[in-house]
Amino acid sequence: MSMRSTLETLERVNSKYLMFHAKTSDTDPGDARFLFSAKDNLTSKDMETCAGSRILEGYFPPFDATVIARMREAGGKLIGKTNMDEFGFGTFSTNSGLEVPRNPFDLERACGGSSGGSACAAAVFEDHPSLGVSTGGSICCPASFCGVYGIAPTYGRVSRYGLIDYGNSLDKIGVLSSKAGDLRRYINIIAGRDEKDPTSCVQPELKDERTPVRSVAVPKEGVEGLSKNVEAAFTNALDELRRMGIEVETVDMPSLKYAMPAYYVLATSEASTNLARYVGMRYGRQDGDLSLKFDDYFSDVRSRYFGDEAKRRILLGTFTRMVGYSDRYYSKARQVREVVIDDYKRVLRDHDAVLAPTMPFTAPRFDDISKMSALDSYKADYLTVPANLAGVPHLNVPCGYDGDGMPIGMQFVADHWNENALFTMAEDWEKEFDLRRPEVSA
Amino acid sequence: MDRETVERVARTAHIRLTEDEIARYSSDLAEILTYFELLDEAPGNDRRGINPIEVADVLRDDEPRMEMDPDVLLRDMETYERYVRGPRLS
Repeated sequence: MSMRSTLETLERVNSKYLMFHAKTSDTDPGDARFLFSAKDNLTSKDMETCAGSRILEGYFPPFDATVIARMREAGGKLIGKTNMDEFGFGTFSTNSGLEVPRNPFDLERACGGSSGGSACAAAVFEDHPSLGVSTGGSICCPASFCGVYGIAPTYGRVSRYGLIDYGNSLDKIGVLSSKAGDLRRYINIIAGRDEKDPTSCVQPELKDERTPVRSVAVPKEGVEGLSKNVEAAFTNALDELRRMGIEVETVDMPSLKYAMPAYYVLATSEASTNLARYVGMRYGRQDGDLSLKFDDYFSDVRSRYFGDEAKRRILLGTFTRMVGYSDRYYSKARQVREVVIDDYKRVLRDHDAVLAPTMPFTAPRFDDISKMSALDSYKADYLTVPANLAGVPHLNVPCGYDGDGMPIGMQFVADHWNENALFTMAEDWEKEFDLRRPEVSA
Repeated sequence: MDRETVERVARTAHIRLTEDEIARYSSDLAEILTYFELLDEAPGNDRRGINPIEVADVLRDDEPRMEMDPDVLLRDMETYERYVRGPRLS
């Protein structure tokens, strides 16, 4: 499909899948070299940016996030801002104050989250890189549910300037696409030092080279609690890897079970401080009653426009930072992060990557999601959270389909700064795997 | 989490809760905190970094510069004579 025809059908396609909150109305690609989309928590000059939250409705940022600026400089045309869980708080993109994207393989099912709209766009449009953001699994989860490739690079590899923060020590910007080669191509465009984000300034150079994966470690803890169809697809994928000449070994990673609570403590602690800035002044919703006292004004705006999950995480994060509790939760969680990092380093001394299924099940139906408790939904992230907590790069590759034709994915994790192993793995896997594209009609 | 704690935390966080929300969050957060007890048995570590990688201070030259035109920043703000509007302090 040409860039022009993508643009001409954008309105109709979006009304079916709801991948975009804001989108371009241009039908002429002009001199663009490629089209791309970006998660709606990345600021963009020409499009409203809400991060899935009603409290930011009406916010037109006066600057581009570094990643969007770099994509534009490389000849990219931004066609839309993708729908997501409010501020990234979710696993299915259903915790949104705005639109909820639909899975292109079955409209009654979720895209995964929180970069659900990005995975949807990457699956639906041909030759389409979409920028996503991962805090606890928000790139690999939706990439798995929508059957596309997705990479979250090392923490600090890509500048976070212009990202609407969720958890500053956890957020990573990455790329989703139906083409494996796009991961290398576009991470190379957006990566690199940026003085506006000091955490991006310590990185070693990302060299454009092939680094074949020769051995993978499968943690026992990563193959527990899987649905039957995910287990079967993963077993077949391991056979395929062996056929490709890659050694597969089962290992113990005992720290993984502690990653979940440590992650949720750190993520909500950081989120609750980040969200303190939304008070109905300066940007977004500014329609509070100015005759109220300031405490009441702030509480009124925040209570009205934050969604259910945002309030839950603010409460949780505020509690775990409180005097008397912070040693037990926040301080311990930071120690556990180091324990998990050490565990990955230990295993990656003898192996090129750690491998497990990305999600324990395929994309659930919306009516099943509505029956899940908050904790059920948190626990669904147990396979993607450890790598995110440790800040190590991780990749989803599609590895099969269940009886209903829903995609299944597996996640490779490499050592800090070793994105090349993941790029190469995705490119090699793509030659062996028969990727299915959804039937797109609008 | 008991009801009084939920109310205290919500006040600190500037969130006003309805009766339904207090009941729901109280039960949700109790369930989540019970799950967090797993942390008590987790091994500790001498390191407790703020970030998962080593970061270094990056300082730019101390020269004044204007990255963005203040008028552009004020464009979408509710203002009164170029002051941002906010609620009363008392």
